[in-house]
Amino acid sequence: MASSSKTSAPAASAPTSSAAPSSASSFRQRPWVRWGAPLLLLAGLAVLPLVGTESFNDTLARIGVFAVAVLGLNVVMGYTGQVSLGQIFFLGLGAYVTAYGVQSGWNIVLVFVLTCLIPAVAGLLVALAAARLGGLAIAMVTIALPIVGVPLAKRLSDFTGGSQGMSARFVEAPEGSGLYDDQWQLYLVLVIGGIVFLLTYFLVRGKYGRAFAIVKGNENVASSMGISPYRYKVLAFTIASLIGGVSGFLYMVVVQYTSPETMSFGHSIELLVAMVIGGAGSIVGSILGGVFYVVVPDITNAIDPSLTALLQGALLLAVLFVLPGGLVSLPRAVMRGLRRSPAGRGSAAPPTTPSSTPGSGTAAEPTETERQGSA
Amino acid sequence: MEKFVQLVVDGLSTGSVYAALALAIVLVHSATGLINFAQGGMAVLAAYVAWVLTNQGVPLVLAILASILFSFLLGAVLERFLMRRFERGDPDTAVVVTIGLLTLVTGIAGWLWGYNNQQFPSLFPLDTVSVLGVSVSVRSIGTTVVIVVAMVAVQALFVGTKLGLALRAVAINPQSAAYSGLPVERLLMVGWGIAAVLGAVAGALVAPQLTLTPGMLDNALVYALAAVILGGLTSPVGVVVAAWLIGVLENLAAVYVGFIGFDLKVAVPFILIFVVLIVRPQGLFGRKTVVRV
Repeated sequence: MASSSKTSAPAASAPTSSAAPSSASSFRQRPWVRWGAPLLLLAGLAVLPLVGTESFNDTLARIGVFAVAVLGLNVVMGYTGQVSLGQIFFLGLGAYVTAYGVQSGWNIVLVFVLTCLIPAVAGLLVALAAARLGGLAIAMVTIALPIVGVPLAKRLSDFTGGSQGMSARFVEAPEGSGLYDDQWQLYLVLVIGGIVFLLTYFLVRGKYGRAFAIVKGNENVASSMGISPYRYKVLAFTIASLIGGVSGFLYMVVVQYTSPETMSFGHSIELLVAMVIGGAGSIVGSILGGVFYVVVPDITNAIDPSLTALLQGALLLAVLFVLPGGLVSLPRAVMRGLRRSPAGRGSAAPPTTPSSTPGSGTAAEPTETERQGSA
Repeated sequence: MEKFVQLVVDGLSTGSVYAALALAIVLVHSATGLINFAQGGMAVLAAYVAWVLTNQGVPLVLAILASILFSFLLGAVLERFLMRRFERGDPDTAVVVTIGLLTLVTGIAGWLWGYNNQQFPSLFPLDTVSVLGVSVSVRSIGTTVVIVVAMVAVQALFVGTKLGLALRAVAINPQSAAYSGLPVERLLMVGWGIAAVLGAVAGALVAPQLTLTPGMLDNALVYALAAVILGGLTSPVGVVVAAWLIGVLENLAAVYVGFIGFDLKVAVPFILIFVVLIVRPQGLFGRKTVVRV
């Protein structure tokens, strides 16, 4: 499915699209744009922590943390099509491993490696059982992770500090750098988070990403092509758990405190809401999801805290109704709407590319934007 | 021994609550092929309606009946105006819709009535009666009996009435059902309504015990889903048996297995699930499904 849309999309859109979009894409093709834009972005990110206020930096860092968590969820759900309600558990697990390691005085590199490994192994074990049942079983099993996780964290108080939680301060700006702590934290989040995003970007565009897309599209087709849906579901879930663990490490970098509440059921649902609203199956959508996760509660809490859940539910349903690709597909949807209104009268056949059919909405559109962006 | 019997009876009563929710989930799944994660949330909303009515001085039984009627309408309206659009599409998207619905319903309850625990009056007295020399609580027996009656009534509706026959036809093959002149869309609304009614009965019966909060049935939903997995999505009887099994086992494990205790008993069904999934992936009573490509 992925390869067919790749070849057919340019062929179908080329004759129907007017001059403006094609000049835009050739603008994007120019070498100085192709190399300059990422460098500009990189430079912007490098300067960013230096210019903002402390609370602005803190908000940005928290966005980074949850963008990584949403990215992990995207690997299993957006790209592989397996609904997971347990992603927050792996964030919480990563945060606890980090806090325990730091309090025990272990080397921070070792702590980071364990923060990747332990959630990945936990995710592997869960997936090995859950992926045996087809369809929605992963959703039905993973919903238990936060619900079992919270009392488990309270019970294992020797490791987790019980209901009080654990705090660990281990990120301080190095001497002589002249940075404040919040700036240094933001740099750490940007670097580690950036690496995770880059690796995931290559993963989902490569061999494994195509296998994930086929498993998502049709499991029977996948197995007839020699791609075991079971194995790739387990793989995707394990990677998602690993990324969740990394986001837990970053969570401790920024928040420096974790408690059983970190992995509550409500937060798990919020993470899923953020992912869908940002854009399922999209790298940029994951960042937008992180922004949504952090910023919207801040705004609604300022208006009326009891409205937060209501607004999130209403927003999610609204997005699913009008913009199934999430916020990341908004510019594309607007462009299509603009293009269609004058052209609709002239030509009899509406200029619909294959990607604009509702069936392939969530899956195909964001991946195509990314392809165009880099091709 | 007396304690053991009490634990089993109490377990059967909580198991019945899970069974009602699980049966509602199976009902919706067989009709529309999706898992409704908002089933518990909708039941909580119904319980709040009953609670508001009792506060207005309406007798409890009438309030619960009114909330049941409200649930039926709520289920039908949600099917028509929300789920209809996603039913024939990608099942994962439909599941996300129900999760959005859960968030929305919980949010509405929290916004209207707050997140504090509210006392819900019990339908049964808090006494105990002596059965074969063992004293067991009236509430547990009453809860179990009412839910069993509700489930039998639903089963009778499906097996013994023309409406039930039509509902089953829609569940088996909506297209053929439409060709033979059945109003498929209206029947789907009825199916959602009946599922919501089952949830509302469970919610009203368990609310005195759990005290009313917007997230009251989140845990029960998890148990119900566990029962659905264990029993197999295709087997209503299996789901009910699995729910009772879970209710009894978690009660026993909480008391007799030191490490589990009352706070971790929610882990019991998932330990069961892990064992069952490894041994029998289609569930205890489910059939293996074969898909034609």
